[in-house]
Amino acid sequence: MIRNSFFKILILALIIAALGVLSIYSSTYQKEGTQWRDIYKRQMLWLIIGLACFFFMSRFNYRKLWDANYFIYGAALFFLLLVFGLGVVRLGAQRWLRIAWFNFQPSEFAKLAIIIFLARYFSRKSIDDTSLLSGKFGIFQGIILPFIFVAIPMFLIIQQPDLGSGLMLMLVFVGLLYLTNVRLKYIFFLLAALILPMPFFWHFLHDYQKQRLLVFLNPNIDPLGAGYTVIQSRIAIGSGGFLGRGWLSGSQSQLYFLPESHTDFIFATFSEQWGFLGSSILILMYYLIIRQGVIIAQRTQDSFGRLLAYGVSFLLALQVFINIAMNMGLAPVVGLPLPMMSYGGSSVLVTFIALGILVNIDRTRNVF
Amino acid sequence: MERKSILNLIIIFLFSTLILGLLNLGILQGAKFRRLSDSNCIRLISQSGSRGNILDRNGEIIVDNKISYDVMILPQDLDDIDQVLTLISRILGVEIKDLRMTFKKNFISSSVPVTVATGIELKDAILLGEHEIEQPGIIVEPKPLRHYPYGALAAHVIGYVNEIDRWRLTKLEDYGYKTKDIVGFGGVEEKYDYYLRQEEGGLSVEVNHRGKFTRVLGFAPPRNGQDVMLTLDLSIQKIVEENLSGRKGSVILMDPFSGEILALASYPNFNPAVFVDKRAKLIAGLFNDPDAPLINRAIGSSYPPASVFKIVVASAGLELKKINPSMSFVCQGSTMVGARKFSCWDIHGQEDIFQAIAHSCDVFFYKTGLLLGAQNIHDYALKLGLGRNVGFELAGETSGFIPSPLWRKINKFQNWFDGDTANLSIGQGDCLVTPLQAVNMLAVFANRGYLLSPYIVKAVGGLDLSVKKKRFTKVPFKKSTFEVIVKGLAKVVSDTKGTGNVLSSLPIKVAGKTGTAQVSRGATHAWFVGFFPLDKPKYVICVFLENGGPGHAASVMAKQIIEAMNIQKLI
Repeated sequence: MIRNSFFKILILALIIAALGVLSIYSSTYQKEGTQWRDIYKRQMLWLIIGLACFFFMSRFNYRKLWDANYFIYGAALFFLLLVFGLGVVRLGAQRWLRIAWFNFQPSEFAKLAIIIFLARYFSRKSIDDTSLLSGKFGIFQGIILPFIFVAIPMFLIIQQPDLGSGLMLMLVFVGLLYLTNVRLKYIFFLLAALILPMPFFWHFLHDYQKQRLLVFLNPNIDPLGAGYTVIQSRIAIGSGGFLGRGWLSGSQSQLYFLPESHTDFIFATFSEQWGFLGSSILILMYYLIIRQGVIIAQRTQDSFGRLLAYGVSFLLALQVFINIAMNMGLAPVVGLPLPMMSYGGSSVLVTFIALGILVNIDRTRNVF
Repeated sequence: MERKSILNLIIIFLFSTLILGLLNLGILQGAKFRRLSDSNCIRLISQSGSRGNILDRNGEIIVDNKISYDVMILPQDLDDIDQVLTLISRILGVEIKDLRMTFKKNFISSSVPVTVATGIELKDAILLGEHEIEQPGIIVEPKPLRHYPYGALAAHVIGYVNEIDRWRLTKLEDYGYKTKDIVGFGGVEEKYDYYLRQEEGGLSVEVNHRGKFTRVLGFAPPRNGQDVMLTLDLSIQKIVEENLSGRKGSVILMDPFSGEILALASYPNFNPAVFVDKRAKLIAGLFNDPDAPLINRAIGSSYPPASVFKIVVASAGLELKKINPSMSFVCQGSTMVGARKFSCWDIHGQEDIFQAIAHSCDVFFYKTGLLLGAQNIHDYALKLGLGRNVGFELAGETSGFIPSPLWRKINKFQNWFDGDTANLSIGQGDCLVTPLQAVNMLAVFANRGYLLSPYIVKAVGGLDLSVKKKRFTKVPFKKSTFEVIVKGLAKVVSDTKGTGNVLSSLPIKVAGKTGTAQVSRGATHAWFVGFFPLDKPKYVICVFLENGGPGHAASVMAKQIIEAMNIQKLI
C-alpha cells in the first residue's frame, strides 16, 4: 500500500518529466547557439537533482518540518528580500537569484514554505484536550493573523513583479482555510475583503499586467504585442488536431512563432506535436498525480500531514490548471510554469520536493 | 457535503474544463487553426514564365516577348540596405531617394524580394549581376514582357495586354486568375488568353517567426504560354496596312474556300506597346479619342451596305424568278414609287441584270426589289449571312441589321411602305452590315454556294484547329444564279463604264462590287467587295472607308493592294 502510492507518483512524475524534456528539445533544437540547444540537457540534470530530492524527502520524516517551520518561513522571506537587492532582471522582472551556476527563483520555494507554515498553523492542538485549535479560532486568529503571514511574502512576490505566483499564494491560502475547521462565514468575510477592493487594485497593476488582463478578455486588441503569445499558442494547440503534427514537426513551436515555447508555453508546444490525444493523456496524468495527493490526504490521520498533503495537491492542481488554461486562452497570461514539464530548475526542484513530502506523509502516517 | 469532497469536485471540474478547452481548440476549431498555422509559416515566391507568342500562318512572329530586367533586393540577406541602394542608384543613375521610396512601398517581409527598379537595360543588368557575388541580397530577375516587333501591325486582331480589371477578375477568378495578373484585352490576346497565359511557377518556402527562410517545401517550374498561330499572312497584312494607313476604315482579305482571314486591318489603330510601358497619357488618349482607335471596324461596327446589297437583291430576284437574265428595265434617271420620286445616280437607259450590276443602276434594283417585296429581300440577306453574327472568334463583333416589315410593325408600330422596300433594295435605310459580313457574303459567290465561318486562329500550341474551324453552310441557290451574278461582278471591272473599272488595268482579273453609302452627316462611306483571280478565286477582299467618299475610292485602294500583292507574287 505504501509502496503503491510511492511508485504511482514516481512513475507518473517521471513520464511527465520525460515528455517535458522531449518538448523542450523539440522547441529549442533548431536554435542557434549551444546554450539553447543544450537546454534539454540542463533540464535533465535538474530532473536528476529533483529525483534525488524526491528520494531524500520521501525518507525525511515530514514531522520534522513542523519544527523547522519558522526557519523555512524565515528563509523564504529572506530569499525574497534578497531578490530585491541582488536579483537578476530577466524578461522585465526581478525574480531570480543567481546562486553559483544557476538561477534560483525564490517565489517557487515560497509557495511550498507557505503551505508548510499554514499546515502547521491550523493543526496546532490545545495542550489540555488535544483537540484542534482551529475550530475555536475567532476571526483574528482564524483569518487575519494567517492572512498577514501570507500577505508579507505575497506582497514581496507581487512587487517583483510576479502577479501569478502572488495570487497563487492567496488561492492556496483560501483553499487551505476551507479545509480547516475555520468557520465558513470567516472565509466568506475574507473573500469579500479580497474581491471588493479589486477595482481599486487595478491602479496598482503594472502596465503590462493591465495589458495582459485586457488581452485575456480579447487577444485581438493587440495581436502583435501582448496578445501575440495567446494567439500563437492557441494556433499551436488548435493546429495539432486530434493526433498532432508529430514530434519535431510542429511549425508554431519549432519556427519560433510561439514565444516562451520551452517554459510557460510548453503545453502548447507539446499539444501541437501530440494533438488532442496526447494532451488529454497528459492532463489525465496530472489529474492522477493530484488524485494520489488527495487520496493520501484523506487517509492521513495526522492533521498536519493531512493539511500538508491537501496543500501540496491543491497547489499542483492550481498551477497545472492556470498554466494550461492560459495556454488555451482561458486564463490571463501570468508567469507560471507547468510543474514538471516547463524548463526551470527551481520549479522542478520544488515540485519534486513537494511530491517527496507527499510520499513521505503516506509512508509515515501509520507511525502516529 | 463535506468540505474535502467539494474540493475534490472543484479539482475534477477544473480538469474537465481543460479537456473541454482542448476539445474546442484541437477538434472543433482544429481545421481553422491548422490553416492559420500554415499561413504563419508558408510563403510563396513566384517566378513567371513568358506569355505565348502570336505567329502568322507561316510561323513568322507577330508578337513575342522580350526580356526585361527587374532589380530586386532580399532584405534578410543584407546587413546594410542603404549601402546596397546607393550601389544600385550609382549603376542605374537613379536618385537614391526614389529607390528608397519604392523599396518602402514594395516591402512585404524580409524574406520576400523587394522590387526596387523595373525594366532596366541589359548593360546595367550585367553590371549589377557582377555585384551579386559580394552582395547576395541583390537579385536581377529577367522578366518577359510583351514585345511588338511591327508596332501597331494587326493591333486589332492581336489586342493588348494589361493588368486584369475588376470585371474580368470576378469572371475569371475560378480559373486561377489573380489580381495584378497580366491578361489580354481585345483580339486574340483576350479570346485565347487561357492558352497564351503563362503558368506561374515558384517556390513555396517555410519561414520562421522573423520571416527568415528555413527550408524549401516545393518548387513548381514556371511554364510558358502556348503559341497561337493565326491565319494572317504577315506580308499581305503589311501591304494592307500600308495602304489603309491614314484613312478611316477597314480592309479584310479572306480565303473564299476555307474562311481563313488572311489580312484584317482597321484604322485608326493603336500601338499595343503603350500598355506594356504603361504610358498613361497615351493610354488615356486612346480611350478618349473620338475616332475610337480601339474599335475594330472590321467586325465591331456596321454600316449601310449601299450598292453592295444589290448582290443580295439580284440573287433573290433570280432565285424567285422575278427577273431573268434576258429581262431588262429602262433607267431614265429616276422612277416613281407611290407618290415619291426615287432617283438613280445616272441615266442608264435600258439595262439587263449584268449591266445593272456593272453600272450599279438603282432604278433596276428599285424595280426588282418592289417585285420581290421586303420580306423576301430580308430572307435572302439572312441566307447570305447578313443581319446576324458570323460567329467570329474575336470579341466585339456586332451583328449588323436587316430590317423587315414585321420588325418595323413590332418595334416601331409603323407600317412598311414600298418606299422602304425601294430603299432597302439599294442597301440604304435601316440596313447595316459589317465589313466582315460583306466579305463573307461575297465569298458565297466566289466559291459558288458555301457560306463560310471566317476564322483567324489556325493553331494553338502546335495543334492545328483548322479542321474544326472549317464550317460550311450550303447556300441552295441554282448554279445559274451564281453564274449570272459572278458574270455581273466581273463586268463591274471589265465594263468600260463599270463602277470598278479602275481595277481592269490589273494583270489579274478581278470581280467585285462597289458601294457608296449615303450617311446623314459627312462624306459617304466607300465600299469595295470583290474576289480574285476571277477564274480560280484565291482571295475575297473587302475595302471599307468610313466617310471615304464614293465607292471609287475604295476600288482604287483595292487596286493598290492587289497590285502590291501581285508584285510580291502573293497571288
